[in-house]
Parts: sequence; structure tokens; C-alpha cells
Amino acid sequence: MGSDFLKNGIVLLDGATGTVFQQKGLPPGGRPELLNLSDPELVRSVHREYLEAGSQVVYANTFGANRLKLAHTGRSVEEVVGAGVRLAREACAGTGGRTALDMGPLGELLEPMGSLRFEQAYEIFREVAVAGAAAGADLAVIETMTDLYEAKAALLAVKEHTALPVLVTMTFDTGGRTFTGCTIPSMARTLEGLGADAIGLNCSLGPDQLGRLLSELCRNTRLPVIAKPNAGLPDPVDGRYDLGPEAFAAALVPLLDTGVTIFGGCCGTSPAYIRVLKEALAGKVPAPRRYAPVSMVCTPTVPVRIDGVRVIGERINPTGKKRFQQALLEEDLDYILDVGLQEADAGADILDVNVGYPGVDEVAMMPRVVKALQAALPIPLQLDSSNPAALEAGLRVYNGKAAVNSVNGKPEVLEEILPVVKKYGAAVVGLALDEEGIPQTAEERFTIAARILEAARAHGIPEEDVWIDCLTLTVSAQQAQAGETLRAVSMVREKLGLQNVLGVSNISFGLPNRGLITQNFLVQAMAMGLTLPILNPNQSEMMDAVAAFRVLSGEDGECRDYISRFAAQKAAPATAPAGELRLTLDEAIARGLRSEAGRLARAALEQGDGLSLVEGTLIPALDRVGADYERGVLFLPQLLSAAQAAQAVFEEVRSALARQGSAPVKKGRIVVATVQGDIHDIGKNIVKTLLENYGYDVIDLGRDVPPETVAGTVREKDVRLVGLSALMTTTLPSMEATIRLLHTLPRPPVIFVGGAVVTADYAARMGADYYAKDARQSVEIARSILG
Amino acid sequence: MELNVNEALRYLGAGEGADAALRERVEGQAARLTALVRPRYWYRVTPVTHGAQGILLAEAGLFLTGRTAALMLEECGQAVLLACTLGAQFDALLRTEQARDMAQAVILDACGSAWVEAGCDRAEEEIAGRFPGKYLTDRFSPGYGDLPLTVQPELCRALDAQRRLGLCVTPSLLLTPGKSVTAVLGIADRPQRRRVRGCACCSMKQTCTLRKRGMTCGI
Repeated sequence: MGSDFLKNGIVLLDGATGTVFQQKGLPPGGRPELLNLSDPELVRSVHREYLEAGSQVVYANTFGANRLKLAHTGRSVEEVVGAGVRLAREACAGTGGRTALDMGPLGELLEPMGSLRFEQAYEIFREVAVAGAAAGADLAVIETMTDLYEAKAALLAVKEHTALPVLVTMTFDTGGRTFTGCTIPSMARTLEGLGADAIGLNCSLGPDQLGRLLSELCRNTRLPVIAKPNAGLPDPVDGRYDLGPEAFAAALVPLLDTGVTIFGGCCGTSPAYIRVLKEALAGKVPAPRRYAPVSMVCTPTVPVRIDGVRVIGERINPTGKKRFQQALLEEDLDYILDVGLQEADAGADILDVNVGYPGVDEVAMMPRVVKALQAALPIPLQLDSSNPAALEAGLRVYNGKAAVNSVNGKPEVLEEILPVVKKYGAAVVGLALDEEGIPQTAEERFTIAARILEAARAHGIPEEDVWIDCLTLTVSAQQAQAGETLRAVSMVREKLGLQNVLGVSNISFGLPNRGLITQNFLVQAMAMGLTLPILNPNQSEMMDAVAAFRVLSGEDGECRDYISRFAAQKAAPATAPAGELRLTLDEAIARGLRSEAGRLARAALEQGDGLSLVEGTLIPALDRVGADYERGVLFLPQLLSAAQAAQAVFEEVRSALARQGSAPVKKGRIVVATVQGDIHDIGKNIVKTLLENYGYDVIDLGRDVPPETVAGTVREKDVRLVGLSALMTTTLPSMEATIRLLHTLPRPPVIFVGGAVVTADYAARMGADYYAKDARQSVEIARSILG
Repeated sequence: MELNVNEALRYLGAGEGADAALRERVEGQAARLTALVRPRYWYRVTPVTHGAQGILLAEAGLFLTGRTAALMLEECGQAVLLACTLGAQFDALLRTEQARDMAQAVILDACGSAWVEAGCDRAEEEIAGRFPGKYLTDRFSPGYGDLPLTVQPELCRALDAQRRLGLCVTPSLLLTPGKSVTAVLGIADRPQRRRVRGCACCSMKQTCTLRKRGMTCGI
């Protein structure tokens, strides 16, 4: 059974089941899904009442029937889901009604908010989807989602394991965000891209508050739109919802004018609401939809509409960067994240992510880097690789709508990469080159661009998701080509109406005062229709040019961004005026002045070697701060500020060594981890910050780390010192299990433990070698073990 | 609703000992946080039945064992279940800040703790306003006294906390998002003694880092 019925006129869904069961005597705290087995007639009768009231689709009683929520009930997913779908089908038999497999949130938050991994969530949903399809559901519904990532896991599971049409509805507050901060445009474009058949809003709000949000949703998607609100809001004191059936229907009918065509009710509604709603909708015609396609990429919280110039940061890329290459080889994700953070702080709208380098397993590295970046940074990513498997691995775990860099005019490349782009609903950059190389004329590049657009369309990719890169060539080598590139940009904009991407930095290679040439080229290209320059946002002259262009194009309304950009620069001069403040490196560290410490370290490195700088100045300065902390004169933030200033010094030392091709100085390796089950990791991160700034090579295994991972890393890398942290009494047993497992290794490491609930006694009882009462003490422990 | 900067400073171990520069940094983070994130809360009122084995909150399908709950709700015919959270947005801010500046992150973390407490205070005021002529007990939470942490999942289920606040419990009984509080308050006909406040009642009293330094968090 296809999804055509969703597209033709008004569709009526059902109302609440949970609150109806409660009215019929389901005890509080009981799992409603178990009624599928214990009281099938009750479940069937509720479905029948909805069908009689006019529902064309009934949701099977499977909302919470997943492995996590059914644990300890003694019932399997297959049993409960199978029974639920069969009961709905029995009720539908002969009525023309359709049965929807209903999938709600899993009840635990996904990473990085919670401990459930995306891949686990996918597996749990897969189990439900397979059971529902096997039992004969006509469609699947994913509802009440507040986390776009969880909705994606569920949608992928349904699409990859069943042929069912899928409806996805999420829950928003009056401010237009879900609890996890997801926006309406982000939801719309991500779920449409992933292949949902209809999308909408359910639960949370009453219908009167949904109008504005639904109208925004209708403007952001081509798909049919669903409204399934609560009967108003419940009163915390008596639990009653404030809208009756007539008021509910009266508030829903005007939604037809926004283009909503699929209606139903959520918490607090009943068959009576659906009956009145059906009458109220009878004979009404929904307004035609007005959807204007706009190019967009997004994370859940930040939709980036390409309706003007948006900067793509180019720095997450190992090409020609020794320090970045080293970070990739050492799997130093913190360094890569730091590069991204700097770009975002400098004003990049999108980050290009390229992790391809000899010796790096790109297929494994791409998703790790994507996860690390999206956990800490809200801006969208452009995944940059020629390896389709790496692209797919990255797109799969990406939360939102990403871009892919790139395809080109070669048929085999298009055939290999476009299906991946389509499947994950990404935007794609098409390079205007083919098997013949880069054409010399604008016309030829335009022809390739048109061919790429044609191929994308044939794969079902909408044209607003196709971006063209007309390619920048070095002007000192091929002077005439600068003009050809600019002409091609203009033709792509004017004749194809597509977005232009262009990496601008190459233009000035080999010339003096490169910045001037690059900036000029950037400005001319923007004037010709470049909307997505790829550049280094840390170069302020490039970002200045973009800011000025946005003023002249009218995009920066009332010059607001421009004014605040330069007001901010005036307020905070990049360097202290000469003569005003002459600090020693030692003082800069003690006062926690990061950039000053870095600058002084650079100067010192021109005179002496890194090691003596570290041992002679850095460590003694940190020790003095540490002693003040012990005496209670300084506090944790100040201790950490000093440590971070020390970090800036270390970064200079590392860069100097990488430039010389020397091995990095590391004083010894330490593994740190927050134990399994525990996800509060700020304490462990504090310890890591301090240890790193004393020069130790810290392998941070993160949080919620299984004992096997700790032991495996220690054995594989022959680590001599391990720090474990736990915050909850409930996770102490997994700390103990980790220690026990480490003791079974042929060369057991020294173990120190800490965290809010750990005491010296308890540490000793668990078999730890040391108890660290605070982060500062972990440094002393490291010194006594590793020197 | 106001974020108590002194409370945040105490969480940082500083309290009165903080110099002006540190206080200013904490005030800066407090201002940023309160502009970006509002605490959300949800509560539910349920009748109390006193039994030999513990306290039954029948409408919520919740059973509270132990002396703490029995003592706290001794004179109460009704109880309020409360949850308050800074939500996923705070966790996201904190993750970014941890990557950018760990010192700033610990300050933000302390401000978050003070801010979620302010949210609970606001909720408590609202509840008090719904019951004129009645008296509320102190708030007490799973993990306080002998009220077991294991009640956390049922408490959240009774509050429908995922639907109402986006609040969940991990298998190891952590509340997610991170800056979240669940609590129980009793509603009585006469004024209630303050019982829960102070270190003697706190489940962290053996391990609290502030106590190790001879200080208290002031609660």
C-alpha cells in the first residue's frame, strides 16, 4: 500500500490512546502496551471507537513497545508489537481504515546528551520496525520526537528494513523549538531529505498555539503536513486538559489555511474529539501550499539558509598542514575540534571537513570527527572526501542536513556518490571538471555544471541542493583563467539558478601579498554570484570583505552585522599596545593569559629549545599556581586558566617540533576515562586539562567507557598510569569492575581514582593505587609514577 | 527568578574568598546563562497514603520507602512531585565551553547548578500560590537521606517528564539533561519544620569536596 492517500485531500488520524486507557482503568505507572496481551478486547474497542468516529488511520498500541521500555516485563518486542498491530488490523478489517505502527521516543536520551549511541538507537528501532511490518502494518509513524537525531535513527531503521510509508511528527514548545533545541526548518529539511512521506507536529501544545509553527513548517517542506495536538494543556493539580471537543475542532479547522491536510489528536483527546473534528472539516478544502525552494544545510539548532553569502571554513583539512596531519595520525580529536571552534568563532557558517591522509582510515575517522564536532559546535558541516564509503559513514551519523564535497562531471563519480547524497538528503558540490580535466573556457565549465544538475535531478535530488564549484586556478600560472572562472560563476548563477561554491585561496599562490589578491578575487566572485566561498575565516581581511559585501548587497539589513563586527574589534584590540604591559611568560601563565603566553612562547622558541622552555619556565610557573590553589588563595577556575595558558605554550612547542619534523615531546602516557554508566565528565576533563599542561600524553577515552575499552587501550599502548572517574554511587561498581579487569593484565598499570562519590577508603577497598581528592592531586600522582 | 552568584561561587569552592576578578567572571557567565536558558519545571499533585511499609502516592503509582519520606510527609495529605531542568541547551553550551575554555566551563557549570535551584524555588513559589492557607515541607530528592535513587525512573514516569520537560533517566539512574532536579514536597495544614537543609541530611556528606575544605554549599 503506497503513500498516495496522504497526498489527496484531508486525512483524519486518531486521537489519544494512553489517556483513554487510563480513563478506562489502566492503573498509573502501568505499561499501556502490555494491554495488547492482557486485555486485547479493550485495545480493539478503542481502535473501533476511533474508526467509527471517522479516523482513517489508527495508531497501533505500540508507542513504547521497544526493547528498553519492555525490559523487565518478560515480554518481547515481537510479541507486543505483533499483537498491537494485529489488534489494530482486526479493528480496521472491513472499514477501509489503515493500521499504523506507532514508534515513540526510546525513553533514554541519545549521545551526546545521554548515553545511548546513535547506532544502538537505530538497532532498537529496527527491531520494532521489522516486527511491525511482519505483523502487517500499512504504514509507520514516528511521533512525539524531541531529538532530531533520534527521529533520524528511527526513520533510517524503517526505510532500510521495510517498504512502509512513514509519517514523522515532533513536539515543539511555543518558542518554536523542541526540548533539544531543534528548529522547524531543520526538522523539515532533514526529515524530507531522509525520505519521510509526511511530517508534522504532535503533542506538547494545544491547537491554538500550533498555527504559527505549522505555517512555518508548511513553508519549509514539499511534504504533506500533519497536526496532531493535545487537547490543550493539562493542569498540574488535577491533570485535566483545558479544551473540549468543540473548542479543539474550532482551533484545528483554521490550520487548513496554512496548508495542513492531515489531522488528529494527542494527549487528552478521545473518539468524541475526532467525531466533532470530522464534522468540522467536512466539505472544507485545504489552502494550496506555497513552498519556495531555498538552499539550506542545518544542524538541529542552526538552519543555514543560503539566501546570501555564507562562509565555508576550510581549515579542517590536512593538506599542507603538518600539525593537522600529526593530529589525524594520533587520532587527536581535541585538536581537530579546536580548529573547528576557531573557525566558528571567526564567523564561518559551515565547516568543510576533510580527514583524508595516508595512514588514516578515512571510513572510520570521518564519523568520529563528525560526532566530535557536532557534539560541541552548532554549525553545519560539509563532508569533503572522494571516498563514497567515508562520505556515507559520515552522513549516516550526521545530525541534520549536511553538504557533500564533491562530485564532478565524470559519470562513474556521479553514479557512485549521488545515490549516497540522495539517501541522506544532503546538498552536493559539483566540480566543473570531468575526465578531460578542467576546461579552459567558462562555457565548457558551464556545460559540465548543467550535466551535473541533470544527473542529480535524475537521482531525485532537488536543484536547490546542487551547488557548483567553477574552480579557482592560480592566477600567477594561468592569468586568463581568473576571468573565465568569474564568467562561469555568473553563468551558473544566471542560467542555472544554482548556488556557487568556490575555494578562493588558490588564486594567489606564488604571489607576494597574497591576501590582497585573494580578497580582490573574493569580492569580484561574490559580485558575480558566488554565495559559498570556501576560505580561512581566521584571516580577518577575508571576513571583512564578506561583511562589506553583505552591506553593499543589502543582505546585512541596516548594516547591523557590519557595525557590530567593527565595534567589537575596536573594543578588543588584537594585541596589547606596546609598552603598556610587559609580562614575562611566567606571569602570563600565572594570570591565565592564553594569547599572551603563546606569543611569548613563540618569541622564546626563537632563542631556545622547547624542552628547556617547558622544564625551566612552564612547569615551575604551574607549580606556583598549584601551590596557591592548595593554600586556598586561588580557586579552580584560576588554576584552569593558568593550565590553559600553559596549553598555548605547549601548542607552540608542538608546532615548532612538527615543523622541524622532530618527534613530539611527551612525558609519558596516561589513560583517563569516566566509567561505564556515568556521563558526567566535567571532572575528568578538568584532570585531563591539568595533566596535558604538565606535558603528559593523555589518552581520553571519554565517558561511559566499558571496562574492556580501558583494559584494551592500556594493553595495546602499554600505558603505565590510568585515571578513572565516577560521579554517582550507582556507577562505583563499574569503576570497581574496571579496576578488577586492569589487574588481570600481564602488566597491570597504576590506577588512580576520583570523583564526587569516591573516598580514600573506598578507593583502597576497590583496589585502586591512589585516590585523587582533586585534579591538582592527579598531577602529583602522575609525577611520582611517570616523572 | 534570580541566579544567586554567591551560591555559584560556593560551588566553585570560593565563597567569600573570591577576589573581584573571579567574582566578575562568575557574574559574566551568570548573565550570559540567564539570557540564554530558562529553567523549565513541571509538577503534579497527588494524595498521600501512609502505610507501614512506606508512603503510597496512589494517583502517581509511586511508593516511597524509608524514614526520610515518612518523616517529611508525616503531616501531609497531599504531595507534589516536581522536576526542573535547564534542558539540553545548557548541556550543549557546557560542551562547547569545555572544548573552548575549561576554566570558563567550570564557572558555567557552577552557575548552572545555581540556576536550576532558582528554577526549583520559582516552582515552589508557584505551588505555594496554588494552595493558599496550606504549608509546604522542604523539597527532598531521591538520594537525600534514605530515599533511594532507584525511585528516580518511576518518579520521572509519574511526571511524564520526558514528554513535559525532555527529561530522562539513564540505566545508572542519572538524570539527563545534566542540570536537572527531581523532588518531592509535602502539603500540610500547619507550618512545617525545616528538616532537609544542612549537611546532616545530605547524602553527599561523606564525600562532599566543600566539606573536605571545611565549607558548606549553604543549602
